[in-house]
Amino acid sequence: MKTSLQKELLDAGATVVGIADLRGYLSGEISHLGRAVSIGVDRKLNENTVALLSKLQRRTVRFLKARGHRALAIPPDSDRKQGTFISKLYSLFNHKMAASSAGMGWVGKNGLLINPHHGPRLSLATVLTDARLAADVPIELSSCGSCTLCIEHCPSNAITGAAWSRQSPFVELVRLDVCRSHKTDKRKTEGKPNCGLCINICPYGRKNITENGSKASGPYLTAKTPRTQR
Amino acid sequence: MVTEEKKKELLEKLRTAVIQYDEDTAKEAANEVLSEGMDPNDAIFNGLVSGMVEVGRMFEAQEYFVPELLMCADALYAGLDILKPHVKQLDLGVKGSVVIGTVEGDVHDIGKNIVKMMFDVAGFTVYDLGRDVPLDKFVQEQLRTDSDLVCLSAMMTTTMTGMKKVIDDLRTKNPNVKIMIGGAPVSQDVADKYGADGYAKDATNALKDAINMISSLKKMKDEAEAKKIAK
Repeated sequence: MKTSLQKELLDAGATVVGIADLRGYLSGEISHLGRAVSIGVDRKLNENTVALLSKLQRRTVRFLKARGHRALAIPPDSDRKQGTFISKLYSLFNHKMAASSAGMGWVGKNGLLINPHHGPRLSLATVLTDARLAADVPIELSSCGSCTLCIEHCPSNAITGAAWSRQSPFVELVRLDVCRSHKTDKRKTEGKPNCGLCINICPYGRKNITENGSKASGPYLTAKTPRTQR
Repeated sequence: MVTEEKKKELLEKLRTAVIQYDEDTAKEAANEVLSEGMDPNDAIFNGLVSGMVEVGRMFEAQEYFVPELLMCADALYAGLDILKPHVKQLDLGVKGSVVIGTVEGDVHDIGKNIVKMMFDVAGFTVYDLGRDVPLDKFVQEQLRTDSDLVCLSAMMTTTMTGMKKVIDDLRTKNPNVKIMIGGAPVSQDVADKYGADGYAKDATNALKDAINMISSLKKMKDEAEAKKIAK
């Protein structure tokens, strides 16, 4: 059942699909749903990732329900309709926790899920279910190593540099208030809150970087080099 | 005119959509009801609500848990939002208005929202004060809207005691208003002790009790007026 579900989702446009065994990790209201289907979609510019993710979620829910299982879709963080009954429960759940438990990556220094092949460029959605799907092997440790590119490039110095592991998932990786205040300032000056430097700079999954990750090239990076040389 | 068969099929579709927490099917079926020219009132009560009653039973039997219950409620609203504008007159015998909210200090409003949903379905005018509502606000709102009914909800034993104060205040300001309380720590004993008119074990009971209360209230009013005229 797991492989046919994975195949269906990958065919429909998912970049990565993993299954996490979350028994014992979920809060009371949702603890009867022990498995999570974690769906990652590579955000390519100008493509509507959120629409694709919600389509994939619907497919997953249909797939599981048709086989007599419960399914609870947790939409992407950026697509949470307020005012519905079920939206009250969304805050009980963390997509990155499910994705790392499903072996799809670790949480990087920039606080984002880092996938070995796609870096921090995945948008995540999760479907919780009581179907006993075979679970993938969780990722226990961060593979960021000594890389500090995102720390150096963060315009608001919000990244603390702490390392994540499944044993200590609650360390403060990013000072969210600082990151947020930077975005608020950006909105004032540029009309948009967009920042995302910590995503662009991450060597994992970046297209214009050599395999060993040492050569920082490309027009974008050259413009920024004074900061890295500090 | 819609055939009996088609009618039955659509009612079943609405009912199943709610039970299976399938918002898309609920919307689809609701639109079909309208295009077929079926009575939306019938569709709401014998389709959507009938599904929700079954969901209530499954919840009690622990076949469904909180997430499923909430998703079913969302599916019901998906259908209701389409059907409701086409309902001319809800035929429940009584129409009433209700002030509802979760008392001060308490932010748990899932139960309150489900009770609110039942009132919405039944065509009541609902004044929802939300959660963590200052105790005075209930009294003010009741006086402002002249509602027949005030519903108080509390999830914690510590906030439940606030309901007693609201009830006392309401009684002094407006002895005729009916008061109903609910929430996890509330029981019939508590309701009696606090002087509430009713206690709702769950959303379905809340609606039934509310209708009974309002009809008795209306009856009292009518009798009082009849006496006045007789004099």
